[in-house]
Parts: sequence; C-alpha cells; structure tokens
Amino acid sequence: MWLGEEILTTLKRAAGAAALAAALSSVSLTAAMADDVTLTLISAERDEVVAPVIAAFEASHPGIKVEHQSVPFESMNATIEARIGGGDDSIDVLFVDSPRVAAMVSRGYLKSLEELRSEIEPVVTPVALDALSVDGTLYTLPLWTSTQMMFYNKDLLDAAGIPHPGSEQADRLTYEQVVEMGAKAQAAGAKFGFAFEQIDRYYQLQPIFESLGAGSGLTGEGNLTPDVTNEKWIEGATFYSKLFADGVAPRGVPVGQIPPMFAAGELAFMVGGPWQLAGFTAAEGLNFGVAPVPYFASGKPVTPTGSWALAVSPHTAHPEEAMILAKYMTLTAEGAFKTVEANPIPPVNLEAFKLYSEWFAPKFPETGADAQKIMGYELRDTAISRPLSAGFVAFEEVMNRTFGDLRNGSDVKATLDEAQRELNSTLARIQ
Amino acid sequence: MSKTKNLYVALAFLAPALLAVGLLRLWPALLSVHESLLAPRATTYSFDNYLYIFADPVFQSSVWTTLLFSIVVNPLQIAISLGLAILLNNKLPGTGFWRTLILLPVAIPASVSAVVWAAALRPDGLANAMLGLFGLGPQPFLTSPQQALACIVLVTSWIGVGYWMTILLAGLQDIPKSLYEAARIDGMNRWQQFINVTLPQLRRPLTFVLVADTVSNFLVFAPVQILTRGGPQRSTNLIMHEIYTRAFATGDKASAYAATVVLILLMLSIVAIQFRLMGDKGDD
Repeated sequence: MWLGEEILTTLKRAAGAAALAAALSSVSLTAAMADDVTLTLISAERDEVVAPVIAAFEASHPGIKVEHQSVPFESMNATIEARIGGGDDSIDVLFVDSPRVAAMVSRGYLKSLEELRSEIEPVVTPVALDALSVDGTLYTLPLWTSTQMMFYNKDLLDAAGIPHPGSEQADRLTYEQVVEMGAKAQAAGAKFGFAFEQIDRYYQLQPIFESLGAGSGLTGEGNLTPDVTNEKWIEGATFYSKLFADGVAPRGVPVGQIPPMFAAGELAFMVGGPWQLAGFTAAEGLNFGVAPVPYFASGKPVTPTGSWALAVSPHTAHPEEAMILAKYMTLTAEGAFKTVEANPIPPVNLEAFKLYSEWFAPKFPETGADAQKIMGYELRDTAISRPLSAGFVAFEEVMNRTFGDLRNGSDVKATLDEAQRELNSTLARIQ
Repeated sequence: MSKTKNLYVALAFLAPALLAVGLLRLWPALLSVHESLLAPRATTYSFDNYLYIFADPVFQSSVWTTLLFSIVVNPLQIAISLGLAILLNNKLPGTGFWRTLILLPVAIPASVSAVVWAAALRPDGLANAMLGLFGLGPQPFLTSPQQALACIVLVTSWIGVGYWMTILLAGLQDIPKSLYEAARIDGMNRWQQFINVTLPQLRRPLTFVLVADTVSNFLVFAPVQILTRGGPQRSTNLIMHEIYTRAFATGDKASAYAATVVLILLMLSIVAIQFRLMGDKGDD
C-alpha cells in the first residue's frame, strides 16, 4: 500500500474504534450513575456558607449528592444568561436575586411553581409572597431576606472623642451627622470616615434616594419608565459624590475589599449587612458596635431589604431531585435554618426565623443583642424593596455603572442625564 | 493519481483544525449575522438592530475608543517588542534570564494579571507608593477618565510584549550573519543596517506580529472587565466589553449580535489593509 493510503486506513480504523469505545463507555456510565444523582447548586456565596445545608440534606437524603458552584456576584447575570439562556442542563438549583425575578421570567428562565402555593403560603408573610411572584404567579422559593445596620469602630471613635451611637430606634443619626463624625475620626487618625459595604451597588444606595423621597428610579406601568433626573435624585447623587470628593470614603476600592478595611481598623463607620458580624467578631483587635442605619433629616428612615430566593432551572436533567433539594432548603424549618447557620442573614421561612432569632444573640457575645434588636425594628418599620420590573436587570447594570462614575468624580447632573438617556433606550427594547 | 491521494492525506491531517475553525469560528459568525438581522420579538429580517446601535452614543463612543486604543497600543507594543528582541538577541550572560522574565507574564492567565494590577493601581496601592519614592504625587489611575485607558494599554502591553518579542527574536535569529557583514563592508552604520537588512528580512514575522497583535488588541476583554468594567465614564469601554454588556448584562442579544458583526467587518478591513501595506515590495 502507498504510504498515504496506509495512514488513511489507520486513521479510519482508529476513528472507528474511538467512536465505538465512546458509545460503549457512555452506556455503562449511565447505568452506573442511575443510583447516585448529583445536583449542581449555583450561588454567589462561598462554599462555607452552603456547606451546612448541603451536609444536612445529604445526610437525610441518601442517593442525592449536591455540588456547589460559587459564581462571583458580578458574573451572576452573565452566568445565568449563558447557561440557562443557552438551554444548558448543567445547573439544577440556583440562587436568584429576588428583584431580578421579573426579568428572568420575561426571558423564560424560570418555571411556574403555582403547584406549590399551598406549601409556600403558610411559611411566609404576604409581603414576602409578593417578592416570589410575578403577576400573581409564584416562580421562586423563599430563601433569605436582608436588612442593614451601621457598624462603628469603638477605638477610632474614642480617639476622636466621639460618643458611641446608641442602638435604639430613637438613637438613629442623620447622614449629615455621621459624615461629620467620620471626618472628625479621620482628623484623629482614621484612614477613612464612612463607607457603605456595597459601596457602588444599587441595593446599598437605594435608601439614600428613597430616604430623600426621590423614588426608586423606576416608575410608570410595570416600573419600566426611568426617573433618575428629578431634583431629589440630584440631591442624593450629590451627597454620594461628595463623600468621595471630600475623601471621607475611599475611591478605587472594589466592593469586596470594604469590609476588610473595617476589620483592619481603617474605617470609622460602615453601613453593611448582619452577615458581617461573624467576620468582624472574629477579627483580631477590632472593637466594634452596631447602630441603626442613618437617614436624611429632611426625609424618613429607609433600609434596603430582599435577598436571594431559590429556583429550579427549567432545563435541569433531574427535575424531581432538584425540587426535593429546593423545598428542603426553603420550606422546611430545619433546612432553611441550616442555610443561615454559617451566614447570619434572616431566613424568610417564618419557622426558621424563630429558630434564627433564638440562636442569633448568644452567637455574638458583645453585639448580638443590639444587632438582633436593630434587625427586628428595621425589618418591621423601615424596609423598602427594590422595584419589581422586567427591566430591573438592565436598570441595575446601568445604575451600578452610574454610581461608579459618580464615585470617581464625574459631574452629577451630566451623569444622571446620561443614565436617564441610556435607560430610556435600553428599557424601550424590553417593552 | 497520487496528487489526489496527497490531497486526501492533507485533508485528513487538517480535518481537526478545519472542524474547529468551522464550528468555533465560521458557524458562530454566520449565526451572528443571522441573529443580528432579527429585531427583538420580530420574525422578519431587517436592519433595525444596526440602526439602533449606530444611533446609540454608547456604541459609537465604544468604536472610537477601540480605534484610539488600537492606534496607540499596536505601534507601541511592536516597537517595544522589536527593541527588546534586538537588545536580547545576543549571547551575553543574563540575556536568557531577561528573556524568561519578559516572557513570564504570557504564562499567567490574563485575568490573574489583571487582578494583581488592579491591586497595584489602587489609589493607595503599590504604583502610587513607588511614585511617592520618586517624589511624584499619587495618581488616580483607574479612577480617572484620562488615565484609565492608558492603564489598560500598560496592562495589555505588560502581558503581550513578551509573546511578540519571542516571535521577533526567532525572526532575528534567522537572518544570516553574512548579510550584516556585507552591509558593514559596504560602509553602513548600525542604523542603516537596521533599516536595510534587519527590517526587510523581518518582513514575514513582522507582518504576522502586526496582524495578530491588531486582532488580539481588538478583542481585549479581561483587563477591562476586571480593572474598570468599561468606566470611568465609558473611557475604557472597548468594543468586546460593550458587546458583553449588551448580551449578558442588559440581555439585549439582538443588538449584541449586530455589534459583533460590525466588529468582524472592522477587523477584516483593517487586517486587509495591513496585508496590503506589508505585501510584496519586489523580489523575495
């Protein structure tokens, strides 16, 4: 045979053998896998956060294993777009950011959970039920809600002669007062005076504008009309921009690096979530206290709320097992409590919330009682949800960029005008 | 007959590469063209998506930013790579060490380099600390619309220069020494030798570096995503990041497809011009 023919024949034989081997191995693999189902759970949390609930679930449900994939928060939208939008079956159960539910439903990424209504209704409040639904139909399962508090560094305040803020509702300070105190702390040696934990994200900054009465930024039918150029929005944005222009808050530090700044004793006041308590309590040399979130003297106290919900992917290869996992994590008191055991954020499940309340205060010896008190009245009296809208994902992306620009010193009016223009253009494509 | 057999053998060896090009390049490109002609919720073809993006100031500025970036970064990277290649094209002790050091960033994933540079370019980071040693004030770097794009140029050059230098180094080592001797005998000085011997002999590697560098700089994404997310004020919103934002953040896939097609056409035309300019200028 001529050399080329030999090579060709060998290649053909090799290709045939390879194909046969692949076919056989896939058959035997499927047979072996039939006993043990492995579900993929994706979230923006660290592995340690979901480890307790996965361990508890696997112990009580032999035959189902759960693998957690952690996706950075900034990439969640893109990951869901790419994998669920692409019909990928590699995700079974996923954490869904509650305000994004409407947008995800409009893109067909969630399936209706109406058949579970009788199981969901008894364990959630009516307000929480709204957050799980779009146009009255349930699409997600209740997982967590959130609230905020203000952490302050006792040593930095003492060095500047600033009295520690109280933790009662009546002790609530105004933003103006806190910024002044922060600047004073800086004069006495603190690196920075005041910062928000999620320093340039809509979730964290919405209270600034709502407290002033500026509105959420979305209005009209279906919350698809942007409104970020009114007088109050400009006032709020000017306040925010001034924090960085005056050096009270740091520029150029990404969101994930703000809490470590507080833990390292570089920041006098930080508005952040109760999930920071574990890390701050464990931080060496950090003496901190908690107080309610500030408000504007001309407006009302407002705190952000809402958090992750749970959903089953419409393209999962194991719909039954995925639903078992999702229901365990949300509708059972034990499972729902396990989801917050390593991450002290309030669960939505009312029975789990009772367990959580009893467990919370003793867990954080110095600040636990104060924190629990604050969380109680904030969730009850000042919590305001993010606007429900099919355009929320696009809105949030534009606003986060806008806040980034304001933080870096761009002109307030021009930046808000540009955001308005962009939102008009983008949201029009959604209607 | 053997010519046909030759062809079959050639095809068999090329088949994996052809398959990859077809599946991973041609098919998505054709898909992009098809999808870009469908406006959201429409069933008939139209140019709506193209009209939408060309009317959008954000997309327009993204195209200009990308072109500006291209004009700055390509000559810069090629000049630096060529300079380093010439400098390190000798057998002095230490050149091996320096070549490795310069090539090292290529071995690190671009995203890792970007994360490290993000920390270094923070207002309270390493770069400002070093400037402080020389008595220069702290710079805003990534938080300033004027400096952010320059920082992206810096980071992508830091990553890429080693790679292009290696290719040009190989090209330099292929040049026969006899040509330089002949040039010396003719009385040419170092600069004239460079212009009349080195550059013409390097034409092929240089063309490759020019085209490949241009293409890869049009596709810059990881440093932008990690360092600036397109900001501040869109000053670093290069076109790949713009497409990504449209497709995955805003969820407007239709206009993202249209933007992709525009990018492909832009790259093809620029590369065609480059091939023209670097084409045969006489005998080989």
